[in-house]
Amino acid sequence: MFYFYQKVFLRYLIWLAMGFLPFILKSEYYKDCLVLTLLWAGVAMGWNILGGYAGQLSIGHAAFFGMGAYVSTLLYMNYGLSPWIGMLIGGLMAGGFAFLLGLITLRLRGPFFVLATIAFAEVIRISAISWRSLTRGSLGILIPFNLGFWNMIWRGKDAYIWLTLVYMLLVYIVCRTIESRKFGYYLVALRENNPAALALGIDTAKMKARAAFISAFITAIGGSIYAQYIMFVEPSTVFGIMCSVQMSLIAIIGGLGIAGGPIFGAFLLIPLSTFFRGALTKYSGLNGLVYGFVLVFVILFMREGLLPKISELWERWGNIYYNIIKKRKHILDK
Amino acid sequence: MNNFVQVFIFGILSGGIYGLVSVGLTLIFGVLKLVNFAHGEFLMLAMYLSYWSFKFFSIDPYAGAILTVILMFCFGYFIYNILMKPILYEPHVVQIFATLALSMILQNVALLFFKADFRNVRTAYSLSVLNIGWFKLSSPNLVAFVIAVAAAISLYIFLKTTDIGKAMRAISQNDRAARLMGINIDIIYMFTYCIGVALVGLAGVVLVPIYSIYPTVGSSFVNPAFVCVVLGGLGSVPGAVLGGLTIGIVESLTGFYIGAEFQQAAYFIVFLIILIIRPQGFFGEKEEII
Repeated sequence: MFYFYQKVFLRYLIWLAMGFLPFILKSEYYKDCLVLTLLWAGVAMGWNILGGYAGQLSIGHAAFFGMGAYVSTLLYMNYGLSPWIGMLIGGLMAGGFAFLLGLITLRLRGPFFVLATIAFAEVIRISAISWRSLTRGSLGILIPFNLGFWNMIWRGKDAYIWLTLVYMLLVYIVCRTIESRKFGYYLVALRENNPAALALGIDTAKMKARAAFISAFITAIGGSIYAQYIMFVEPSTVFGIMCSVQMSLIAIIGGLGIAGGPIFGAFLLIPLSTFFRGALTKYSGLNGLVYGFVLVFVILFMREGLLPKISELWERWGNIYYNIIKKRKHILDK
Repeated sequence: MNNFVQVFIFGILSGGIYGLVSVGLTLIFGVLKLVNFAHGEFLMLAMYLSYWSFKFFSIDPYAGAILTVILMFCFGYFIYNILMKPILYEPHVVQIFATLALSMILQNVALLFFKADFRNVRTAYSLSVLNIGWFKLSSPNLVAFVIAVAAAISLYIFLKTTDIGKAMRAISQNDRAARLMGINIDIIYMFTYCIGVALVGLAGVVLVPIYSIYPTVGSSFVNPAFVCVVLGGLGSVPGAVLGGLTIGIVESLTGFYIGAEFQQAAYFIVFLIILIIRPQGFFGEKEEII
């Protein structure tokens, strides 16, 4: 229905329009929801690079998210280093860990890799709790409210909306770039058929490690932004398994291996979750229950995710419509 | 020295429990080639079942064990037909996330209906301790260990002698060949899954007098269970028990000599080391590295 350039134009128009949302949404509640949605969309897109394109499902990405959060926070609290720089350092550190992890776990397939990532994240979490002299353990670190651009702290939520919007946009551009380059095709190759990729001469181990690095870097930056938004970091939230599962859930439900998939998933799941958490507090488990049911439904019936399914339906209906129009025109011409 | 032996003995006892939880998991892993991330939640459900029968009908957990195990068997049948059968031949992504979703659903259903309060079953023998020489053994732990070993041995004998057991072993070695030999794969898959769930149900029953019951109790046991399964080798029952004992001892010694908070990290680190050095575990077969 839409031609290619129209599609691209529409996409960036939507981004621009979203930039104006802070002026439209008046309520702090909706703004908070938007910030979290955009942030998780970016983080999930980062996860998607390793999980979707390379097919290495990691339920331990919270390790990198938390690493980004803690590194930037600790550098800020102890040395006054601006979070803008701290976030890059956190990203590099997380990337380094991910690279090592990628090299170590290269022989593991399927469920073993998942278990290894879970184990890794738990070890990092427990270390963060036990190393009290560094991280203040389970007490967490409260970031003081010093306003300023260099501190990445602003009054109100508008600036955070723009920050997370830019973050999500940059991550999206990174994903699309990877998708269209050789590197992206290598990752898809090693996901679909590892032996065949090796036979073609692709160094799968190095590609996996590289994807892990990029993925962890992006996730860690998201973690730093999260820390600066919430102004409080503690091990169970940023290193917890619920954090990892949420990332992967958004990517899977939205669309695995597609750049825009996690965005769709985030816009679906985060507002839903925020609504359930707030509105139905009487029924405490409903939030997770809905997540679980949506996941089962998507994984059984629409394996690639909701976005591909919706595009497919869109194309199909577009074709039917187009054919009807064509037939009508033909009759009129006669 | 006395301390060491006491801690070691406690490690063996708790290792038996881990072994019992992992035996069901390794069976499902080995025969169905399915990672059951919802294993901990079945444990939690069995514990709640035991708890409610104690609360409403005053049935002692051990006395109600048979009933609980049978109910868990039926529940396994139910879950298998609804969720497991469609995903058996699907790629790993689907299997992992479907079982993960099941675990989320079960956890949150328990949270919704039973609330997050910690519940306890206090029976006459909950706090009793046996003194053997210099050392003390807590009775519920000892009973759990004995039941775990008995269950593991009977399962082993079952797998070695009965026809169904041999069919299960055949499928775990090569499912296509088993199919060609005339084994009804679907029935055996279903049976294996139900047995696996029933075993973890038994584990839940023996854990009730010892630990508190809350919706996420499953995850504290399923993580060591995965480590035991990998340590012992997929599909190997003696391996799972041996792995369980190892993990129990490692955890116990770490807790006493290094620090209580490092107990969990200890077995995760063991897990990572095993995956790097010897992914097939004690008794597993070396798989092609591709």
